Amino acid sequence: MIETVPPGFIFILGAILIPILRLRGKLRQLYLLLIPVVGFIDLLYLEPGTSWIYRFLGYDLVFARVDRLSLAMGYIFVIIGFLAVLYSLHVEEDGQHVAAFLYVGSSLGVVFAGDYFSLFAFWEIMAVTSVFLIWYRREKESLDAGFRYVLMHIFGGCSLLTGIIIHIASHGFTPVGPLAGGWTSVFILMGFGLNTAFIPIHTWLPDSYPQGTVTGSVFLSVYTTKTGVYALARCFSGTDMVAYMGGIMAVYGILYALLQNDTRKLLSYHIISQVGYMLAGIGVGSALGVNGGIAHLVNNILYKSLLFMCMGSVIYVTGKRKLTELGGLAGLMPLTCITCIIASLSISGGPGFNGFVSKGMVISSAAGAHRPILELMLILASVGTFLSFTKLCYFTFFAKNETIEAKEPPFNMQLAMILTASSCVFIGIYPRVLFNVLPSPVHYHPYTFSHVVGVFQLFLLAGLVFMAARAALSPHEGIVLDFDYFYRTTCRGIVWLCTTPLNGLRLRTQGFFSREVRGIIGLSRNPISMPEIAIKHVHLKMLKLLRGSVRSPEERMRELEEMRSRLDEIRKMAYDENAYRGPMGLGILLAMIFLFLYGLIYFTAS
Amino acid sequence: MVRHLKKLFLLVVIVCIPLGFLTEHEHAVFPWHTIPSMDAIFGALGALLLIGAIKIVGSFASREEDFYD
Repeated sequence: MIETVPPGFIFILGAILIPILRLRGKLRQLYLLLIPVVGFIDLLYLEPGTSWIYRFLGYDLVFARVDRLSLAMGYIFVIIGFLAVLYSLHVEEDGQHVAAFLYVGSSLGVVFAGDYFSLFAFWEIMAVTSVFLIWYRREKESLDAGFRYVLMHIFGGCSLLTGIIIHIASHGFTPVGPLAGGWTSVFILMGFGLNTAFIPIHTWLPDSYPQGTVTGSVFLSVYTTKTGVYALARCFSGTDMVAYMGGIMAVYGILYALLQNDTRKLLSYHIISQVGYMLAGIGVGSALGVNGGIAHLVNNILYKSLLFMCMGSVIYVTGKRKLTELGGLAGLMPLTCITCIIASLSISGGPGFNGFVSKGMVISSAAGAHRPILELMLILASVGTFLSFTKLCYFTFFAKNETIEAKEPPFNMQLAMILTASSCVFIGIYPRVLFNVLPSPVHYHPYTFSHVVGVFQLFLLAGLVFMAARAALSPHEGIVLDFDYFYRTTCRGIVWLCTTPLNGLRLRTQGFFSREVRGIIGLSRNPISMPEIAIKHVHLKMLKLLRGSVRSPEERMRELEEMRSRLDEIRKMAYDENAYRGPMGLGILLAMIFLFLYGLIYFTAS
Repeated sequence: MVRHLKKLFLLVVIVCIPLGFLTEHEHAVFPWHTIPSMDAIFGALGALLLIGAIKIVGSFASREEDFYD
């Protein structure tokens, strides 16, 4: 009998050992590949039920809650973890691998968490570790985007924690499951919704994912949003709001994807759109809907990571990421081109590819649940997906560009793309393998004559419009404003408020008190003279009272001018954040030390 | 070569549309499920609708690359 552990722990331990073992060359590559393999074997032996329960502060923390849903998620997370590690084997930097493994491990931790506290803990580890996959690109845009990513996820994390605390206070310590409603649901939904990129709190996704490292973006495209979908499937299945949010996301994502010039930004908007399909299925809540949502999640992980691999390879080889700079790569990178076409047909839902199966399930579930608007939104998004990927493939691989130079990426990247593309085709041809791992038994037949003909008609007519209106869909330089415009403007307003009026007030107050303190210091140097100074001061005041001002009008004017110029100086004083970093950092460090000591004493005493 | 591919594509489109009249939706729920070749109409109308929408959004939301810098 093999003793199993929560799969996330294997990845986390594996990550910790990377800098300790300091392996190099083939041995290191073998070690990196071995971790997901061990994780997969562990998954095979996991028994349904709950285990790894630890009592903490009177609560039972459950680290291994195993059922069909968590197992389905676990399998796809570990499989794609293996493929993404294979894709990034050539990366020499240990830190990137550590961040990636911690990210995968914490995502698996969320999936197998049986209670809200451990779910929250892994949720936050996931947010913190994933940002390093953006920062490791070491460009200014990546650093900035990473900070915005962290800020948004802190907001989501705080919202989630608030919801969890309210839930525990009102309902006690319950397993992760359907919620009763009220403020608990609002806060928890907002926390989960941020990770799944609900509109309009989705802006972190297209902002940060294109800024990740070539290999890091492959990991990013998989885990954060999908753990969010999983959490929604657990807690908000059958919620109308989730279903319609899914429909809105599906259309909104497509609309913005069609406007993009940056290839990875285009793919990021497609993540929003595809997550929309999953949420639509989960929100409908029928067996077909939830199965469809989870099936689409599994398929999406495969083709979306493949698309990020393909575009990552293009960026890795050419150094170019904009459609306006690309083109003519079909002959130079035939394997990347073929795998990208497979991924595009899969995401579009072409017959014979995995997306065809799951997209059909979700759309059928919307019709089955009598949601006409939702069905039309999802069909519109299907048309848009096909248009968008026709555009991506055409302008990357087939458009004329005689100046571009490229070759196929390293072998490990090619192998990862081939394996992932094969998985897309395999599930498309033999969907039973997918149906067997879904949460409930599946009674759905994707390959009916009308479904196949319907999808062909949809694509062919959309393709015809693309041919006729190619100029309207051709990429353009520049960016397209999204909701982040409002967030950035508001944040800039807050920074202005802090740095100009509030900082000015602070400087004036500081100046006033500094003068008083200086006076007191002067007095304290010679305390014996204090009575005499006091008498003179009173004398002066008396004289002022009796004779008016002792100063001439010129002196008063000069003094007034000095005060005005000082005020102007204060107003013009540039805000230098570095001047405040030290004391702020020290303050935070001290607070953390005190918190740690407080916790230590509390736990030791209890 | 490209011209031949275009011709082939158009031929496939022309062949595919009548096929819709030979099939019917297995679980027709809404009125449009009963209209033959409705997916072809969805494909064409959806594409035109999206192109119109991106033209509108692009007209007021497009900015220079360094807009936020």
